[in-house]
Amino acid sequence: MLRAHSFLWHYLWVAPNVLLLFVGLLIWKRGLRMRFPAFFAFAFLSAIAHLALYAADEMPSITAENFWRIDWAGLLIEGPLKFALVGEIFAQVFGSYASLARLGKFLIRSAGVALVLAAAIAAAYTPKDGVFGIISGAHLLEQTIYLIEAGLLAAIFIASSYFRLSIDRPLFGIALGLSISACVHLATWAVIANGGWANSTRARLDFLNMATYHVCVLIWFYYLLVPARVSQKPAVPLPENDLDLWNRELERLVHQRLPQP
Amino acid sequence: MTLAFILVIAAALALVFILSVTLSRNQQISRGVGLAAQIQPIDVEAFRTLVDPLEDDYLRRRLPAAEFRLVRRERLRATAAYVRTAGRNAAVLVSMGQSALSANDAQTVDAARQLVDNALLLRRNAALALIRIYVALAWPNSVMAVAPILHGYEQLSGSAMLLGRLQNPTAPVRISATL
Repeated sequence: MLRAHSFLWHYLWVAPNVLLLFVGLLIWKRGLRMRFPAFFAFAFLSAIAHLALYAADEMPSITAENFWRIDWAGLLIEGPLKFALVGEIFAQVFGSYASLARLGKFLIRSAGVALVLAAAIAAAYTPKDGVFGIISGAHLLEQTIYLIEAGLLAAIFIASSYFRLSIDRPLFGIALGLSISACVHLATWAVIANGGWANSTRARLDFLNMATYHVCVLIWFYYLLVPARVSQKPAVPLPENDLDLWNRELERLVHQRLPQP
Repeated sequence: MTLAFILVIAAALALVFILSVTLSRNQQISRGVGLAAQIQPIDVEAFRTLVDPLEDDYLRRRLPAAEFRLVRRERLRATAAYVRTAGRNAAVLVSMGQSALSANDAQTVDAARQLVDNALLLRRNAALALIRIYVALAWPNSVMAVAPILHGYEQLSGSAMLLGRLQNPTAPVRISATL
């Protein structure tokens, strides 16, 4: 069952992308296109790129070399789209808080620079195939894209968790799906790019990638299009005394000097 | 394969963290009400004594240099514990303010937004102050470690004063005239 060109293999390649196109269509119809422009573009272009690759795999007239060229083209479209989507998530999580805007930008830029360096070092140590360079190059590009993407998303999750920022439901769904996809794909592409594994193992990793992507598309579908349950919570009373206490004590601190040894 | 192993471990750790954030977010949404109980009161007198410059001066005069460094480290550790508590309380206030953002009243929403912004500032500054305290812990004799800590406290104070004003708009705001 877990072999290439089985029914499950066809299903996992086609179904999530058709569903993602459907999600994109519903986003458009529900007027969410302007709120999530990068995700809207990602949903359409990524799904089309994957379906085009599937068609190329199924058509006997397409040579192996051309298949990998189409794969490269898809990666070159999808890569920048994913980074635009990460930027959109970052802007919506931190953009509405003036007190965090500068720190947030500093953190994401620092994380970006560190991740690009890490990806470059990882790429330098990844074995290259001189005969099938187009294939190993594609694997390397996948590893690089997912390493940076997963790192940036983890940084956003760490910062939002530290500051206890509440992310609204659709945006959280987009970030969650993208993060799960990035982490799993990073692990599998790292193994594929560095491995030299047998074809049977390679096929299992392909299945893992495709199944994960399917789950992520379902997450996007659920968070973006299924309305949240409305619960009436009583307003949380704010503790006046504690704030006043901090205020007084911290004010006193400002007037004091710590001794210099 | 070593590289693949490192990347797989990193990806797994990131995934576990992200999933744990998702779980805790769901728990937070269902919990909501018990937030105020999470605020830990700060022992004002103890904190005041800890950061009293006269106390430190006295200790510096009375103790040998090596012993003073030990004592100062202890005092810095205790100060860090207080700043950590203030930071945790700020995080609780962020959650409380955010829960008020969905109110129908525009003024309440504005006040909640301000509260969230200031509590975030407090949380950020508490983190920065902690870093500076840890630097001072490593070099207790260094002169440079002192001024940034004081600056961090100034920022903490400013945001805390704004929070107090939001909580009780009728009370006069004590902008430090003696600064």
